[in-house]
Amino acid sequence: MSAILQTRNLITNFYTYEGVVKALNNVSITVRRGETFGLVGESGCGKSVTVRSIMRVISAPGKIEGGQVLFFRDEAKPDEAEDLLQKNEADMQALRGDTISMIFQEPNAALNPVMTVGEQVAESFLFHRTASLARDAVARMQDEPGAYGLSGRLFKSFLQKAAGQDPRLPMLKIADRLPLLRRWRKPLLAEALKRSVKIIGQLGIANPEEIIGRYPHQLSGGMKQRIVIAIALACQPDLLIADEATSNLDVTIQAQILDLLHQLKKTTIQSILLITHDLGVVAETCDRVGVMYAGTVCEVAPVRALFEKPLHPYSAALLNSVPKLHQKGELAAIEGSVPNLVTPPTGCRFHPRCDKALEICLQKNPELKRMAQDHFVACHLY
Amino acid sequence: MKTEHPKLREFKFTLYRIFKNPAAIIGFSLLIFFTVVALAAPYLAPPKYAHAPYRMPHKGFSPTPKAPSEKNIFGTTSGQYDIYYGVVWGTRTAFKIGLWVVCVAGVIGIALGVIAGYYGGWFDEILMRLVDIMWSVPLLVMAMTIVVAFGRGLNNIIIALILVEWRWYVRVIRSEVLKLRDQDFVQAARLMGVSDFKIMWRHILPNSIYPVLIMASMDMGSMVITASFMSFVGLGAPKGFADWGQMVALARNYIVGPPDDPLRYWYTVVIPGGCIILFVLAWNLIGDALRDAFDPKLRRR
Amino acid sequence: MAAYIIRRLFFLLFVLFGVSVLIFGLMMTFSPERRAAAYITSPQQAKDIPRIVEQLGLDDPVYLQYLRWVGRVAQGNLGWSLVASSTVWDAFWRYFPTTLELNLFAAPLVILVGIWLGTLAGVNRDTWLDHATRIFAIVGWSLPTFLFALVLLMVFYGYFNIFSPGIISDSVQLWLADHPDQFTRYTGMYTIDGLLNGNLRVFADALAHLVLPVITQVIVVVALLMRVMRSGMIEEMGKDYVITARAKGADFRTIYHKHARKNALIPVITVAGQLVALSMEGSIAVEVIFNRQGMGWWLAGSATQLDMPVLMSVCLFIGVVFVVANLIIDLMYAAIDPRIRLE
Repeated sequence: MSAILQTRNLITNFYTYEGVVKALNNVSITVRRGETFGLVGESGCGKSVTVRSIMRVISAPGKIEGGQVLFFRDEAKPDEAEDLLQKNEADMQALRGDTISMIFQEPNAALNPVMTVGEQVAESFLFHRTASLARDAVARMQDEPGAYGLSGRLFKSFLQKAAGQDPRLPMLKIADRLPLLRRWRKPLLAEALKRSVKIIGQLGIANPEEIIGRYPHQLSGGMKQRIVIAIALACQPDLLIADEATSNLDVTIQAQILDLLHQLKKTTIQSILLITHDLGVVAETCDRVGVMYAGTVCEVAPVRALFEKPLHPYSAALLNSVPKLHQKGELAAIEGSVPNLVTPPTGCRFHPRCDKALEICLQKNPELKRMAQDHFVACHLY
Repeated sequence: MKTEHPKLREFKFTLYRIFKNPAAIIGFSLLIFFTVVALAAPYLAPPKYAHAPYRMPHKGFSPTPKAPSEKNIFGTTSGQYDIYYGVVWGTRTAFKIGLWVVCVAGVIGIALGVIAGYYGGWFDEILMRLVDIMWSVPLLVMAMTIVVAFGRGLNNIIIALILVEWRWYVRVIRSEVLKLRDQDFVQAARLMGVSDFKIMWRHILPNSIYPVLIMASMDMGSMVITASFMSFVGLGAPKGFADWGQMVALARNYIVGPPDDPLRYWYTVVIPGGCIILFVLAWNLIGDALRDAFDPKLRRR
Repeated sequence: MAAYIIRRLFFLLFVLFGVSVLIFGLMMTFSPERRAAAYITSPQQAKDIPRIVEQLGLDDPVYLQYLRWVGRVAQGNLGWSLVASSTVWDAFWRYFPTTLELNLFAAPLVILVGIWLGTLAGVNRDTWLDHATRIFAIVGWSLPTFLFALVLLMVFYGYFNIFSPGIISDSVQLWLADHPDQFTRYTGMYTIDGLLNGNLRVFADALAHLVLPVITQVIVVVALLMRVMRSGMIEEMGKDYVITARAKGADFRTIYHKHARKNALIPVITVAGQLVALSMEGSIAVEVIFNRQGMGWWLAGSATQLDMPVLMSVCLFIGVVFVVANLIIDLMYAAIDPRIRLE
């Protein structure tokens, strides 16, 4: 299987009052086409920062300082990669939500409280499908001339232009900035809302026509998360990044959402990068897993291999800390605490908590080594 | 660094935030300057009448201001009052107005607000309805009406401003207390049998005081503005009292000089007016820096 | 919603009652003789004072006097204004349009400039633009209105000799007095009346007289709005939904103007009442300095002449305006924030 996304030695730092937080230290992961890749680790280990760096939506005072994020757009040409970190902001905007999209941890906070959910889903179409929306609108106006009322009639030529080759015509851009001319987009919004109804319906929400007129606070947590997923799936992305998408939901709803992702995986989305701290979710859904600790990747393995025979001491400790059905005695917690990333430990960042630490662990940061087919570990023990 | 007490660390960070802000440094410098002037007033400008140091000395009664000279370094204003003397002693007047109003209104407002917010019930209800009524008339209008009722004069201006301004402190602190009242640490203290007074004093007040401090700092400025405007329209101290607002009023007829030199009497307005602006600016800069340092929403590490 | 408005109107009655009791109580601190003095016009009439006290019942128990006063007010008899030398009711209709005119010009400017600059500063945090805006805001906030107005007069009227104080030039005033049939006072506002009468000379002249007052009013009021808008934008830009929008592919313009701004306006609305109060206070100083015969000028004049009946009426009137303004603000609140339900 070919890769769809690959990060190479990604470095992200946060410039804060306490000092420079070295949040990501040479993170390299690969997500392959058609797989679900899980990224696990304790909270604060840099999982979210990794995906936000991939999408380049790190907010100040964070800064991506090095490495590459390679995106393989075309399946047929596995050697042609684009480095997302080299792209300009406009290209990134065209890419976000269209080819790569993301769903978030906290559905309450991820939706804008003062916009209807319909509008918020519709935006995905409006940003990336202007031309096709305009074509729909023009076609509909041919069937019924009065379809969009005044704004349709007044701005017909605008719509036809937008339906043509380039929806980012300078003329339309200028129109977007002018108070009354801006209304040429109204028919597009109407079409986008229609598509929103369809996609919300597909995600298992009853009477979507009514739901799109509601505000986030009027919906339940599970519904909100479905809306967030609808926003991400609207343009049928090649890669979906799910950042703790189920962590803050009730267990039953969590199961529903996981089921939904599972189904979608079969039908619409090719690849998923799933971030979670829940090893149960990983075992259930992922094909391969990467384990992160304090801004570094310590082990990458197929899910079975990791659960059966974790190589890195941290992975082993992490798996041991999960209660099992036939648990005997106390749960094994990991000694010590997560290091302060302003002054991370020298060498392997895990060594102060590692019971197998060697002399070299204090001095040298281990590289990812290939141990078996598809099984990589960054540890001096091997 | 690890061994530092978290409170100390937090305090250091707050200081860092305050003094990282150049505005705060300007504000504190101005404030120190004014404080020194106010304290040293008897030395900077020895009073002519020992029993009434706030009365500005004047030679003659000519209404036309005189330009700065060696004798009167800032010139004289209408009525031949010495501007330098007035400005120096006016600093004391400004501090007097600001400190009295803010301290008294603040203490009344905080006490009532904490009690109303903590206990709720009928006391809260009555107090808040009273505040609602007070709220429906803007500060300046209400204060002017009160001064008219009590009679002109600086002390009555201070009383009027206290009577109107406490409503702000009640509102601000009460909403803070309401947020804190049902939090776990307060509930825990209550369950442990800590007395209500002690809970209010030790737990609620320290946690709700920052917005009040910020407001108090800004208020020092705005109260001086309001008082000086009332002095300006003639509700303040008698003529000749060292008060910046009144000095501007004395200059009012001289803002436009003779046609050949329209800005001839600039010093009569600009010097006392500049003092008001700088004094207010000092407090506002400090208040703004405090807000930046304390506001969890704007605070960023 | 309708129930809410009705409840608020009852609240208005309650507030009016409260304000009237409060102010009546203040007036009662005057001795009956001093209050009687308000009814005489020359020193020769001083010997009539005991008779006036007797006649008007200024000695009666407080509640009787209050009821009598409320009865009079209910009949539309608000008393006599010394400053205006007319009844308070007539004076009110003469002065109110002037103040309204000032604020009709100033308020839209305040809102536009404040929201625009506040947004700019908030999204460009810690850039020179942000610092400049903050300095502007804090200096504007520290400027006493009357001083700023005086300095503007000094420079523009004194030095450049443009923009004179007053409402309208003497020449235009004379022309208006000579041709009462050619100019109808529809609204009492010279600019709008000028337009309605098609008389551009009056319009332009009145507008020129508004320039400095409006600038003063805007500078003083806009600072607060700008500051709240700025911190609102900063807060909203850190929220998760902004990241959602970015992950959707939104450009920054859309995020600022469509996503964040509407949320940032919510704290602005909570200070809108304060903005209204600030405008009212600003109007007093502006009208006093620029010699515009409006409500603020009248109020300040009445205060210096210790004209208590007028002060009471003005306070009541301002109370009404303020409560109604707050009702409108609440309705706006509900319109912007869908989470608020007016019940």
